[in-house]
Amino acid sequence: MADRYSFSLTTFSPSGKLVQIEYALNAVNSGVTALGIKATNGIVLATEKKSSSPLIDPPSLSKISLITPDIGMVYAGMGPDYRVLVDKARKVSHTGYKRIYNEYPPTRILVQDVARVVQEATQSGGVRPYGVSLLIAGWDEGVEPDSGDVQQIDEDGEPKKATGKTGGIMKGGPSLYQVDPSGSYYPWKATAIGKHATSAKTFLEKRYTEGLELEDAIHIALLTLKETIEGEMNGDTIEIGIVGPPADHLLGYEGVECSQGPRFRKLTKEEIEDYLTNL
Amino acid sequence: MSSPFDINGGACVAMVGKDCVAIACDLRLGMQALTVSNNFPKLFNFGPSTFLGLTGLATDVSTVSDLFRYKVNMYRLREERNIAPQTLANLVSSSLYEKRFGPFFVSPVVAGVNYTTGKPFICGFDSIGCIDFAKDFIVSGTASEQLFGTCEGLWEPDMSPDDLFETISQALLSAVDRDALSGWGAQVYIIEKDKVTKRLLKGRQD
Amino acid sequence: MTSLVNQQPHSEAIGYSFSQSTHAPNKQHSFYPYTDNGGSTLGITGADFAILAGDTRSVAGYNINSRYAPKVFKIGGDDETGEGAHILLSVVGFAADGHALKERLDAVVKMYKYQHGKPMSVRACAQRLSTILYQKRFFPYYVHAILAGLDEEGTGALYSYDPVGSYEREQCRAAGSAASLIMPFLDNQVNFKNQYIPGSGEGHALEPKKAGPLPRSTVEQLVRDAFTSAVERHIEVGDGLQMMVITANGIEEIYTPLKQD
Repeated sequence: MADRYSFSLTTFSPSGKLVQIEYALNAVNSGVTALGIKATNGIVLATEKKSSSPLIDPPSLSKISLITPDIGMVYAGMGPDYRVLVDKARKVSHTGYKRIYNEYPPTRILVQDVARVVQEATQSGGVRPYGVSLLIAGWDEGVEPDSGDVQQIDEDGEPKKATGKTGGIMKGGPSLYQVDPSGSYYPWKATAIGKHATSAKTFLEKRYTEGLELEDAIHIALLTLKETIEGEMNGDTIEIGIVGPPADHLLGYEGVECSQGPRFRKLTKEEIEDYLTNL
Repeated sequence: MSSPFDINGGACVAMVGKDCVAIACDLRLGMQALTVSNNFPKLFNFGPSTFLGLTGLATDVSTVSDLFRYKVNMYRLREERNIAPQTLANLVSSSLYEKRFGPFFVSPVVAGVNYTTGKPFICGFDSIGCIDFAKDFIVSGTASEQLFGTCEGLWEPDMSPDDLFETISQALLSAVDRDALSGWGAQVYIIEKDKVTKRLLKGRQD
Repeated sequence: MTSLVNQQPHSEAIGYSFSQSTHAPNKQHSFYPYTDNGGSTLGITGADFAILAGDTRSVAGYNINSRYAPKVFKIGGDDETGEGAHILLSVVGFAADGHALKERLDAVVKMYKYQHGKPMSVRACAQRLSTILYQKRFFPYYVHAILAGLDEEGTGALYSYDPVGSYEREQCRAAGSAASLIMPFLDNQVNFKNQYIPGSGEGHALEPKKAGPLPRSTVEQLVRDAFTSAVERHIEVGDGLQMMVITANGIEEIYTPLKQD
């Protein structure tokens, strides 16, 4: 009954704009910068961990999250909204995919599912749009594009071409997406979101090259972060997540031939500091 | 004998060979002892080299095959790729378990060659989706006991597509000839990585 | 033993203190004097021999009562070992009835020899077995019997029976719990059903492969294959394979172990 009067708060302005979404983008653009770079053999997500007080215990802050073993996510904007989206992304990856197909969703499918959640907040009653932009990085197991060369030979021995109506464009490998408060999403080679997104993107445009390796990408990510960071840069103040080779040491066991560790993992404080000393 | 699984009759079998699989079914549709049709195939294609066989209550065979045509088409549109046999198997399993307390009276069989790995894959299910991953063969339908006997006696590992065709055909025809509710011709698909061959078998017409 | 007298479980097995279980007005008494002891038997004939085989497991429900309980017997022998017998009988179903039936037929065949001074022919024995079974038409021997021997021409003879005496001479027959598994395999491999001569024609002109008597080694291998297959897929079949081969030289018994799981 209550929802009869819960009109959507996101309504069109006479000029055709949804100002609520623009306000949400303002929240994003005043948020801490986060960036992502896609390499040939992986992806890096990086952000600054800004604490308002020196009394805050840094390790308990976490801005980069694992969604599925091969997909990770970072944000710029409102922290509480992000945590809700992380919960929903993790949930939908199971209810909408793993419980049906017994495998985790490909990155694009998860991005679409998260984007739907975000979009629904722009059209539903009684809610406000999410005040975050997301960077979602994931790895997909190699799915060859449809070659369509499977032949059907019927009773007469006549070969007939199998119908390849929907040629697959989904190749395996890394992919990096950005999801905005409007629910739109974009695939990127490298991008940044948040307060210093523009300058970071200009920096990335200069440093990005085709055929980048993951190690180079991490290096570039740190350099980019250095340009925009306000405080000191160390293992406590920045956060890095990578999508790389399967991390079998995180499996918790060994000896099973076919099981594979998560490709997404966060770098430890020590790993980050190692990279920083080599910067 | 009034089990919903035994009203319409029918049989289905899938076998693994070397880099190939075969799936076959009979063509009978009956109402108890009365044969109504001799052209009721129980095999359905869900992408290149991926097949689903369904035996059991004929109305559920049609409904379930239509349901999976819808689900697999949606999958293909959403993911822009064909469904792999393993993925189809898990989809079948979860879909059947959704109806845990009002199940479809079908015994499905999935057979196919994974188009990325090239690995042959077969599996069978009970009516509420418990998967039976088999390395050799899967049988289902009113002639399942007979099929267990013939398959266990005739199957051997690493058969060529031609040998596999001969084996599955002999196993199915001999089995359905000892089951009054199955028979009246048969359909066989031999599935290789980049080739699918369909054959119709006449069999005994009684 | 327990399954002989089928006790109806108490209608209120869970004894609640407030339940009135002092009188049971609708208590049903039932008496079911049969048990299915499982197992399978199989007979195949050749030009000058007949093989009768059976597994040696005896079960009651999911329990294995015995791993060596023979189902194939020599009929009309001179002593306890069955020496001198020229007829084989296999019984599968209710083992007690099978044993009783075997004892009766054995006595009948022996009496025939004493009275007529010559051994009973397999044909006569087959007819007599039918009569014995039909005499108990309304309290049958709960068995599927197969009789084997050599006929007047010396070729293998095989007769199979239903529990009340219907019988038929056949080339091969499987009986018992795994009959439905074994029989279609036999149709295909003994009688060559669904097999055609390659290149003999197109469509209806295609010539069926003719079935003829198989050599003994082939038949023995088929029996072994049929049973190893049945053991894989039927829990009531296993432990041991007892094969009796009857030829003009007498009866040879071969025992080979089967899987015990």
